[in-house]
Parts: sequence; C-alpha cells; structure tokens
Amino acid sequence: MTSKLTRFEKARIIGARALQLSMGAKPLVKVPESLDPIDIATLELKKKVIPLDIRK
Amino acid sequence: MPINLWHENRVLGDFVQELEKKVVKIIKKKKANFPESFIQDITEAAKRHELTDKELTELVGQIKKAYERAKVEDGEAVGTVAAQSVGEPGTQMTMRTFHYAGVAELNVTLGLPRLIEIVDARKKISTPTMAIFFEEEFRSDEEFVRKMANKIGKSTMKDIIKDFNINYAEMNVIVELNLEKIEDKRLDYDDIIARIEKAFKRVHIDNNILSFEPTTSNIRELRLLADKIRDLQISGVKNIGKVVIRKEEEEWVIHTEGSNLGTVLKMEGIDKVRTTTNDIHEIEKVLGIEAARNAIIHEAQRTMEEQGLTVDVRHIMLVADMMTADGKVKSIGRHGISGEKASVLARASFEETGKHLLRASIRGEIDHLTGIIENIIIGQPIPLGTGSVGVVMKQKK
Repeated sequence: MTSKLTRFEKARIIGARALQLSMGAKPLVKVPESLDPIDIATLELKKKVIPLDIRK
Repeated sequence: MPINLWHENRVLGDFVQELEKKVVKIIKKKKANFPESFIQDITEAAKRHELTDKELTELVGQIKKAYERAKVEDGEAVGTVAAQSVGEPGTQMTMRTFHYAGVAELNVTLGLPRLIEIVDARKKISTPTMAIFFEEEFRSDEEFVRKMANKIGKSTMKDIIKDFNINYAEMNVIVELNLEKIEDKRLDYDDIIARIEKAFKRVHIDNNILSFEPTTSNIRELRLLADKIRDLQISGVKNIGKVVIRKEEEEWVIHTEGSNLGTVLKMEGIDKVRTTTNDIHEIEKVLGIEAARNAIIHEAQRTMEEQGLTVDVRHIMLVADMMTADGKVKSIGRHGISGEKASVLARASFEETGKHLLRASIRGEIDHLTGIIENIIIGQPIPLGTGSVGVVMKQKK
C-alpha cells in the first residue's frame, strides 16, 4: 500500500479483513474495547498491518 | 513608449519571470502536478499580495490539497453521475426558440431540440449559424465589415432590380438594374453581368437594361424564366443565406444564417481565432477533432446556460470525450457509442435486443463479461466502486 487508498479500496480491504477476523483470524493489533471485527479491521488498516494487497 | 516607462516595464517583466520560476520550483518541491494555468494564477496572486517565500510555500501546499481533493477516485461512477447531471436539468428545458433582437431576425434552435441535436451528432443541423469576427484593424471599420457582409451574405437578382417586366407580346423579360442598390451593397457590376451571362444563354445586355428570352417561345417557359431570373444568386458564399451585422461592444460582428467555415476563414480580414460556427461536423472537417470536442462542450454548455441551467463542465467534457475519443464525432445512442460497444449483452440491453443476440449467435461472438451491464445481467458483483478493487494476500517477504 504505497499511495493513498481510494475510499473504495479502503472499504474493500476493511471488509475482507473483517470477514477474516469474524471467522477466527488473529487480530494483528491490540484489540480495543469494541469487539466488532469491522472496528478491529479499521484499526488494523490505520496501523497498516493488514496482510492484504490491492490488485488493480 | 518613453524610455523610463519601457525600463519600468522591463524590470516588472523580469520580476514576474523570476517569480514564476520560483513558483515552479516550489511546485516541484511539493511534488504537485498542476496545469499550466495554475502556475500563472499562483504567480499572479503572489505578485498581487506580495507573498513571502513561506507564505507562497503554504499556498502551494493548500492548493495541492484542494486540487487532489477535487479529483475523482478510481472506480467512481462518473458516467452515471454525468448522465444524471445533464439529464435532470434537461427535463426542465422548455421547447422554445430564441430570436435575436432587432429588425432582421435570425432564428437559432435552442433548448432541448438543440441539445438533442448536439448529442445525436446530426450531420444536418436545423439552424446552422456563424459568428464572424474581424482582425484588429477592421474591427471598428464599418465600411469594410459591410463590404464583407455583402460578399458573404446571399444576394439574388430581386435585391438589385429597379424594374421588372414580362412582355408577353415580344416574349421576353425586361429587367432594369438598380445601380444605386448595387453601389449600396458594394457589389461589382461586371461581376454581376458575368454571372448573368453564365446563367442565361439568351440575354441581351444594354448597360443596366437587360432583356432575356426563353429557349422555347411559349408563355409557360417565359414565366419560369422570370422566376429563374429573380432567384439568380449574384453574390455570397455557398450555404450562407441571410447575414446580420451587429455592433457588439465596440466591434462589428457578422451573424449568418447557414454556415461555411472553410470558405469564410480563407477570406481576408477575418479573425481566424474567434470566428466560429455552431455546426460541429463542419468544425471537425475544417479544424479537426480537438476543435470538435471543444465545440461540443461549448455548444452544450451554452445551450444549457441560455435556459438558466448550470451543469458542471466536467460532466459535459466527459460526454464530449466519449463522442470524440475515436478520432471522429460519434453520436450517443443506437448509431454511435451505445451501438458500437464490444459486449453483445451490453448492446442487446440497450436497443434492438433481438437483432444483436441473433447476429452475435450467427457470428459466434464471445462476451468477456468485463463491463457493468454484462455482470448485472448474469447476477455478479459489478466492476465499479468497491467492486473494481481486487484483494490478494500480501506476499511473504
């Protein structure tokens, strides 16, 4: 993830990662108060630790 | 120009040039990719407000931010948004034709019919018209402009006739030319005579009295001849009819009914930059595809504005780009863009479904399902917005 992500890319990545988390993947950040996978995925994206790439 | 003023101007020029260099340098440092006009605008602003280097850097930074924010993102449905943005105001357009003020009226199609004409890329538009401007030295020269107007505008015999008689006894038509009118219209007498002699074989010319004889001597022929004489064109550019001369802000401008850009541009004293026509195909033929694109944008926007509707240019630019992307002006719709799509399903979903499906099956066409419509039809997520993004697991390093 070099350049800035578009809002579509953000949504797509957060969605894909949240699905992984909901199915039992280990979070790569310290889980915040909220256990919502989307919140966790958003935080992961913010910290740039999501193991996903965009393919155009 | 006095020396000291000249010197001042030169110094000012140097200053602006230096400032512009500085602006370019800062823009480069900020890694911004601005259009040319931005650089000039920023330089202008820096000069006017006497910005310090720090302020200038901040300005460029802020402009860069705003510029990037204004760009559309990949995957945005620009086409759909453009269609809605032009379509909605289109519903409010009234069917109205606009008349120029003044005695001699020129009719120009405007409103919805005109917009449809533009988008359909009609070959024959209903009211072609030109606006002819003149080079600087002739702009306020009424005499010259009037001469040009008579050269360009259509004149027929009936405009310069003083007396017209059909003599049934001697089976001829006697015409007396009105020399004053010829003078008034700045026409050339010899030119007119040459044209008459070319058009009619059996004519006797005695100064300004002309007598015509029909080829066969009967009343029907004589009457037909009379009509033919009256309607003989004696001057004017092909395809151009009536002309109207108007003074617009200290300069004379000719408006015409009908259009012939190629010929008019070759005439002397014409401002080749501003003279224009509303016939997009003619612009394409004479000036090329980029000019045609600009003409589409200009005409569409003007038509909307005249009705008091404002549409962001970028929507219209997208339409114009689609229409001209192939190097020739194409219409939107069955015979143009929609009818030439690569995908069978996309074409079939627009119009003439049966025809397209039948033809595709005969030819064995393959649909790669890369477009929006195809994927809607087969019930898949569409390649737009979030759907246009592919996600893969990161490669382990």
